[in-house]
Amino acid sequence: MLKVENVTIRFGGLVAVNNVSLEINKKQIYGLIGPNGAGKTTFFNCISGVYSPEGKVFFNGSEMQGQRCFQFNEAGMSRTYQVINLFRRMSVVENVLVGMHSKLESNLFNAILRTPKQRREEEEALAKAWDLLKFVGLEHKGNSPAGSLSYGEQRLLEIVRGLAGDPKLILLDEPAAGMNSTEKRELDKLLNQILERDVIVLMVEHDMRLVMGVCDYIFVLYNGALLAQGMPEEVQNNPEVIAAYLGGDE
Amino acid sequence: MLGLIKTKMPVLALILVAFSLPTFFTATGNTFFIMVGCLVFLYVIAVSGLDIVFGYSGQISIGHAAFFAIGAYMSGILNNELNIPVIFTMFIASVIAAVIGALLAYPASKLVFHFLSLATIAFGEIVYQIIVNSPGGITGNFRGMFASPVSLFGFPFNSNVRFYYFGLICCILFLLVKHLIVRSKVGRAFIAIRENSRAADGMGIDVRKYKVMAFSISAFYTAFAGAMFTHFVRYISPETFTIQQSIMFIIMLLFGGTASLLGPVVGVVTVLTLTEVLRPLQEFQMLIFGVMMLLVIVVIPGGIWGTMVSAFKKLTGGLQKKGGASDA
Repeated sequence: MLKVENVTIRFGGLVAVNNVSLEINKKQIYGLIGPNGAGKTTFFNCISGVYSPEGKVFFNGSEMQGQRCFQFNEAGMSRTYQVINLFRRMSVVENVLVGMHSKLESNLFNAILRTPKQRREEEEALAKAWDLLKFVGLEHKGNSPAGSLSYGEQRLLEIVRGLAGDPKLILLDEPAAGMNSTEKRELDKLLNQILERDVIVLMVEHDMRLVMGVCDYIFVLYNGALLAQGMPEEVQNNPEVIAAYLGGDE
Repeated sequence: MLGLIKTKMPVLALILVAFSLPTFFTATGNTFFIMVGCLVFLYVIAVSGLDIVFGYSGQISIGHAAFFAIGAYMSGILNNELNIPVIFTMFIASVIAAVIGALLAYPASKLVFHFLSLATIAFGEIVYQIIVNSPGGITGNFRGMFASPVSLFGFPFNSNVRFYYFGLICCILFLLVKHLIVRSKVGRAFIAIRENSRAADGMGIDVRKYKVMAFSISAFYTAFAGAMFTHFVRYISPETFTIQQSIMFIIMLLFGGTASLLGPVVGVVTVLTLTEVLRPLQEFQMLIFGVMMLLVIVVIPGGIWGTMVSAFKKLTGGLQKKGGASDA
């Protein structure tokens, strides 16, 4: 599904992501962890079109580096952001509808003429948006402005918006940040439900309990390079990983 | 169905009132207001165009007088020089403006807000300079240019009352189309770009394409209004198309309220009424508008219509909450 080969990006003299290669194929939940400043979010930006890194990014069979975010989205990759990036003054359900953008086929002229096809498409999209909101339990907030939701709800909405276009892979950048413990438990459940919708998950997360509990496979980034990868137990017991997190003596 | 009629009720009432106003004004001898009505309709179309780019897509333009001018002069010239019937020249001129709008927006879509405002000011100035120093004096330069009235199937809209109905129907059509656009996938893309262009990009929206589209549609609207102006007043001269006109469009939009169907209507009516009321103080007009615009931005940032809508929502929302509590 996603294959990354020797991806490197430099900002001035700083090598933020250093020669990272990895592959994501199985329908499971992948985690991307690493100490602060390891380059996790930068790596996300490299593989989703925000930056154009050196190296190669293959997604869904085609070479994608150099393409823009919206083209990655059209190819079936969706994402959420570390800092919440909702359309604050649009309603919750409209946010979800925007998430379906690349799946809707009508254009400007269909809209002006209000063709039967366009009307049907809009009706179906709206019904699907409400279904998705029910899926995460936000349907009672559907008509409120997205900016009025609580922090945890906004995180949830970002995930739903990301799912709305039926992606093949969703990148979640710290989905649990700012959530309380109840919301985290809900998130745990939700991640597994996402998997049942045939969406592969790759997430950056700092909450180790959540990561170790929910992820099937984990990549560890350290100083921009891939330090280790494997099942949660393997990674947890890897002395290099422990040293990276606790600061071992070289 | 009943619900639909209920929600559309205020709009239908407004249209009915608009249709019957000329009879009322003629009966009471206030024919002057019919002329103001004609101006209201064409300004509503122009300001609605600006609203698409400014209110919905969040892109500033301080050069919309240029599109107004392109529509006005193109339509006049095509009719005067090539004898193409006016109703067609109005559309051709608007399409040309839409293309120019797209050509302007393609490079300008990379610019952030304040640089875009400078670019659009420059664009307005360029168009103004072309008008006053036109090749072969085709625009009449400072002397201005005469034009013929609109006619449809041989029926000329050559009186204020006749043009009033022509303008009203155009206005309804343009507002309807705007309504259909902003409620569609395209409109959602515009608003998404305004709210957060990074996230819009991430959701599969080609930000550049939609910015160009917004500019283009906007230019079409404002140019069509310009063409209406030409064939209503039947004489145009450069002073109508200065940066003051662009600023006037922005004042009208901000007075009424952005990103709404009726905001431009309220704004245009308010500003044109004020202009008439303040006629004795004409030399201070811009000063008064400046002060009022500051007041609007600081006190009611949603504009008159926007503030009314949110006040209404608060009221009904409060009532609903009360109702819910009594149910429980």
